[in-house]
Order: sequence, then C-alpha cells, then structure tokens
Amino acid sequence: MDDFNVKNEPALKQFIATPPRLPPKNERGVIGTILHRCFNSIGNSVLTLCVAVVLFYLVKHILDWAVFNAVFVAESRRQCMALSADGACWAGVISWFNGLIYGRFPMDEQWRVNVGVLLGLMWLLPLMSKRIPLRNFILLSWIGLYPFVGGYLFLGGRFGVELGLVHGTMTCFALAFLVMLYMNWVLSALGYKGVNEWFLPLVSRWAERRIHLMSFIVVWVLITFGVSLGLSHVSLEPVAIERWGGLFLTFIIAGFAITMAIPVGVVLALGRRSKLPVIHWISMIVIELVRSVPLITVLFMAVTLLPIFLPADMEFNKLTQVLVAVCLFAGAYMAENIRGGLQAIPKGQYEAATTLGLGYLHTMVLVVLPQALKMMIPNIMTSFISLLKDTTLVSIIGLFDIMLMARNIANDKDWVGLHTEPLVMISVLFFILCYSMSQYSLNLEKRLKVDH
Amino acid sequence: MNKLTMALAATTTLLAANSYAVSTLDAVKDRGYVNCVIGNSFPGFYSLNKAGDWQGMDIDICRGVASAVFGDATKVKFLPVQWAQSFTSIKSGKGDILSKGMTWTLSRDAAQGLDFLDTYFYDGQGFMVRKDLGVKSVNELKGATVCVLTGTSSELNIADYSRAHNLDIKTVVFDDSSVRNTAFFNNNCDALTNDKSGLAAQRSAAPNPTDYVILPETISKEALSFAVKQNDSEWANVVKWTFAAMVAAEEFGVNSNNVEKMRTESQSPVIRRLLGTEGDLNKGLGLPQDWAYQVIKNVGNYGEVYERNVGPDSVLGIDREGTLNALWKDGGMMYAKSFR
Repeated sequence: MDDFNVKNEPALKQFIATPPRLPPKNERGVIGTILHRCFNSIGNSVLTLCVAVVLFYLVKHILDWAVFNAVFVAESRRQCMALSADGACWAGVISWFNGLIYGRFPMDEQWRVNVGVLLGLMWLLPLMSKRIPLRNFILLSWIGLYPFVGGYLFLGGRFGVELGLVHGTMTCFALAFLVMLYMNWVLSALGYKGVNEWFLPLVSRWAERRIHLMSFIVVWVLITFGVSLGLSHVSLEPVAIERWGGLFLTFIIAGFAITMAIPVGVVLALGRRSKLPVIHWISMIVIELVRSVPLITVLFMAVTLLPIFLPADMEFNKLTQVLVAVCLFAGAYMAENIRGGLQAIPKGQYEAATTLGLGYLHTMVLVVLPQALKMMIPNIMTSFISLLKDTTLVSIIGLFDIMLMARNIANDKDWVGLHTEPLVMISVLFFILCYSMSQYSLNLEKRLKVDH
Repeated sequence: MNKLTMALAATTTLLAANSYAVSTLDAVKDRGYVNCVIGNSFPGFYSLNKAGDWQGMDIDICRGVASAVFGDATKVKFLPVQWAQSFTSIKSGKGDILSKGMTWTLSRDAAQGLDFLDTYFYDGQGFMVRKDLGVKSVNELKGATVCVLTGTSSELNIADYSRAHNLDIKTVVFDDSSVRNTAFFNNNCDALTNDKSGLAAQRSAAPNPTDYVILPETISKEALSFAVKQNDSEWANVVKWTFAAMVAAEEFGVNSNNVEKMRTESQSPVIRRLLGTEGDLNKGLGLPQDWAYQVIKNVGNYGEVYERNVGPDSVLGIDREGTLNALWKDGGMMYAKSFR
C-alpha cells in the first residue's frame, strides 16, 4: 500500500489551477467596480443614492457633534454651552478622566495601579516567546501568585502592620518568582542555564532525582529573602477597598471572573457528566440554579439580604460578595460551554486513552480537555466578552466602577447634566476592549489550528 | 424539629443581644470612625467630585458628627446604598447615621425602626415651566402635560393636587431623570415637576437656564432629615446637638473663620457655653469639652454649609432668604434649642 504514495509516483501530475481571467475593461478599477456593482440598473442606482444620502447625513451629524462642534477645553458645562451649544462637551470627560480610570483611588497613589497592571502584564509576557519551557506553569503561577502582588500594591500598608504576615510573605514569594522568571528568560536567550540550576552541581552527588526541584526551591527562597529585605523598608499608604473604582475595578472584577471561570467551569462540567449520582446532581443543581437567575438579582441579594441575616459586627466586603457572585455565574455558564466541547469529543478518544492505560484524571487532562477547550474557544471568548460587559451591573449596587463614575459626572457641580458624552466615551472604550478580545481569540484559533 | 426551633431562637436572641449590648456612641469611639449612610448621587446633598471625595449638605452633617466625636472631620466613612437598603443598613447597625436627603414621614418614622432627629433642609414639590408660556401660577396649568418620574411621591402628589384643584393635569411618566429632563427641554411637556432643590439643579443644566422659571407654589412637604437607629438616645443626642450647634453658631454669629477668636475673646455667656470655655455641657453628651468648637472649625455653621452646597453661588443656586431654611430670626424654621 505504501507504494501508492504521491512521492513515489512521479508519473502522477500535480494539479495547477489556471489563473482567473481579468474582469471586462469597463468593470476594472475603483470607478468601474462602483459603476458595475452599484449603478447597474435604475432601481439599484436610486437605492445607492438613497443609502449614500442617509449615510452622509448620519456621518456628518455624528462628526459635527463629536468633533467639529465639540468643546475640548472648558471649566464647566455652562462654559461648554457658551462656546458651542450643539456640540459634545468632551472637556467634562477629560477633566474626569482619572476618575473614570482609577475611580476614587487617591490621586497621589494612582501610580500603584499602573505599576500593578504593568507587573501583571509583564508576568504574562514570557508566554509570547515560544522557546520558554513550562508555559502552563507560568500561567498557573500568575493565577496563584499574582493576586498577592496586586493586592499588596492596591491595598498598600506596611509589612506586618496593615499587611498580614501571610499576605506579605506570599507577596515576597511572588515577586521573587517574577524576578527568577525574567532572569531565566534573559539567561536562556543568551544561551546560559537558568538561575534555578545554580545549586545543581553542589547537590547532584547527594541526591540523584528531584535535584531540579530542590535547586529551584533553594534559589526561590534565597531571592524571596532578598526581596523581603528590600520590601520591609517600603511603606505604602493604605487605600481602603471602597476607594477602588473606575475601569480599574472593572478590570479586577472581570479579570477575576475570567480566570476563575475556566477552573470552576471544568469542575462543574465534569461533575455534571460524572456517573456518581451525588456529584452529578450537585453540579447540575448549581449550574441550573445559577443560570436561571439574573445576575442583577444575585448581586442585590448578596448586598441587601446578607446584612440582615449576619450579625452586625460581621463585616463582609461588598467587593468580595460581588466577586463570589460573578465567579459562580461565569463558572456556571462556562460549565455548559465546556460540556458542549466534551460531548463533541468522539468516543474513540476515550477508548484510545483507556487502551493506553490512562486513568480518569490523565484521560481528561491529557487527551479530552485540551481538545474540548480548543474546540470551544469561540464560545468561551463570547462568554468572556459578555462577562466584561456584565460587570457594569455592579454600578447598580453602588460599586464605583466605570459606569457609576460616568453617571457621577452628571451630578458634579461643574458638569451638571452631562449624561451623553461619558456614555459615548464608555461605549467606545468597551468596543475597543471587546473587539481586541475577539481578535485575540481569532489569533488563538489560528495558532492552535482548530479547524483541522 | 422542636430542638431546631429552639436552637434558632437561642441564636437569634444571642445575635440580638450582641447587637444591642453596646451603645452606638461607644461602638463609634471604639471603631475610630463614623459610618454614614448616603445614596449614590444627589447634587448639592451628596455627590462625588473628580478627586473622588464626597461633598454636599448630607456629607457636611456627617463630617460635623465626626468632628464632634473625634475632633477630626475626616474620621467618617460614607456608605452609598440603594433606596431599598437605607433602612436595613441602619437597623442592622452597619450605618450609624442615615443622611441621604430622606423626607421625614410618619410611616418611615414609626414603622421602619428609625428615629428622625431634625430637618436640615425644608423642600417641597414645585413646577418649572418655559418662560415664554407666560404662566405665573400652578393654577394656570389647567389641562397641561407635566413630566414626572414614575414611582415617586411627586407622581402621587401631583395626582392629589390636580384632583383637589380640578386642574385635569396629564402626566407624562419617565423612568430615568436624564430622559425626563431631555424630554422637558425638547418641549415634550409643558411643565416639569420635582422637589424644588432638584428643579434648581435641572434648570442649571438647561441649555439656556434663563428661559425657564420655577413657579412659586409648593404643593407638598418634603422635610429632608437625618435619622439614627431607634431607641439609642445617647447617640441620637450627639447627632441632634451637633446639628443644633451649627444652627446656634450661625445665630450667634460664630463661623469657621472667627471661631478661634471667639473662643478666646468672646465674653458672651451663650457663646462661651457653646464653645466649651464655660460650663460642662459636653458631659451629658459624652463628648470632649471642645466638641462644638471642632464642628464649627472643621465644617462651619449652618449658613456656611448651606451657601457652600446649595446656596445662590453653588450650582443649585437656591436662595435662602424668605424660605423655611432661613433662621427663625429671619422668619424661617431653623431654630436651635437652648444651649444651657
């Protein structure tokens, strides 16, 4: 049978397509195309003209309002109106810009938000390089360790005083990990061994296996010690969680929900497909219950009903309640997406894994889930996008996310009644965010070659 | 089942005992700050500025209480809550003071577990019309269409008023105040009705404020008041007298600029008693000797608070002269009981 390979049959001719013919002369070029496509009959010509006129007026009005008649520099809305009565008053949005981005975070401390976000992105940056080993490990470390760094920067406080001992220690470990990650990346780019192998020659005689892990831990602890020495001299002004807000808070809620959605979703989806009745029923009840109730009612219940049931001195942070609610929500929706992916995996895959002697865990982690998740990328990304947009609902229960900050502009004494411009600005911002998310998912699909 | 009920009952009693054991004043002193329940935004009364700080009349009252207890106007935490949560947040002890532009009504005072203490702003429902309509009084609005927010007391009041005066007013209801205002400014209705303080704010947001007039009649009583949890007179006294000190200070001519001088130089016994240089009025309240001095120094007297937040130079631009919010000497309702 091997003899029928194309390579071994030089007599078999390769198919070569004839190049397409050029269109007729009067249909070539921009004008030709327009004439041919849009004005090929009287009806079509009229239609084209109508659409063009409508489009022209629409675009003209929007541009007039948003750009040509708009006011960009003014002290108050009254001044905006004096300068140009029928244009947008972007001056208000510009003067509130920091508020929209950072919420009520104290002005002098806003650099910490920038640093925190930058560190988070830096952590993920090595993933762009295809040569770096243990990519999943880096992602896991981000989920497990980055929140401590972020929490430290956003909350502030001194070590051992406002900042708890556990949190402080974990922050040092996390920062040390980041330092190691970058040192390794640079070293590997230069062709050297990573820092985690420093102690390898010393211990190699003593222990044969596990030396990599040992050496890694020793180096990690050493760097952590160095970082903690450095950080113990730093004292950041404490910032209460109530002062978090704006786009920053939107990112925190959406980021948390997005990172937690996949693990929660996988557990719930596998639970629902489980043959063990208790696990099956619990997963099913959680999924169906959470999916059948609007997010807004869950949020309301979390903040209005809990204080009545709980004793007065037991203070639950509003943000924590919201995070739990949103996370459960995202997880339940994700579970159904992933279950769809699981059902699409042919039975042969399970049987093949069993034949190879893989157990349940290995079958799922090594064979089934990678395929199922890959197949579900468009659905998962759709959930993430709708999640990002749903986070604006938290403004209704009084968290100062970007939506509530925008509504507050209209109540500021200088900008009373400025409703439209902030909303337009938020729409544009969300479009940019959501569109880049969807582009990223397309990119991911291409890289993972989903359609075989 | 019986055991379960008993256990539940025991737990609830424990919890109840727990939350009533300490008085609010002690709890506040232990905690180090005052919890003040407000709403999300209401220009002139509580709203954010672009630096993220709260400002407004309700805010100043809470800052005044913080100054009285701690001598520091910043030792207060503001809890913006939804309308539905206002009462529960006070009942559950989450908030110490409710000051969110709430009207003092019988049902709220009697049935919601609150004690209303005093009124800091007398408001009432009014009407705004376009100037070119030539209308001078509400009674000329026969058969007119009026824009109103649905589900509010304004909607009920206008129905009552229209029936009582046989005006046949048609209401156009809206769910959102910005949509309602836009509709009014686009001439979709003849008049706009709201509390008068709100009308002033809406007029200031109009494309051309001088085109609109607010009619003189006031068709309802809206006494914006602050409240605390029921049955805690120690705390109620602190809050009530903090506000009284602001009003009294204005009456005696003490303000945030001259309070320092008044404290050392004034010979008037009433001022000396108010500022704590004479007598021991603070003892009964459980506050420091200079509590009223701190309130006036940090926040100002009632007149200053009014001018800063809702007065003619602020965005609301509500004149005080001749209204109920003037001092009793000037024919208003602002009357502090005797500091003796």
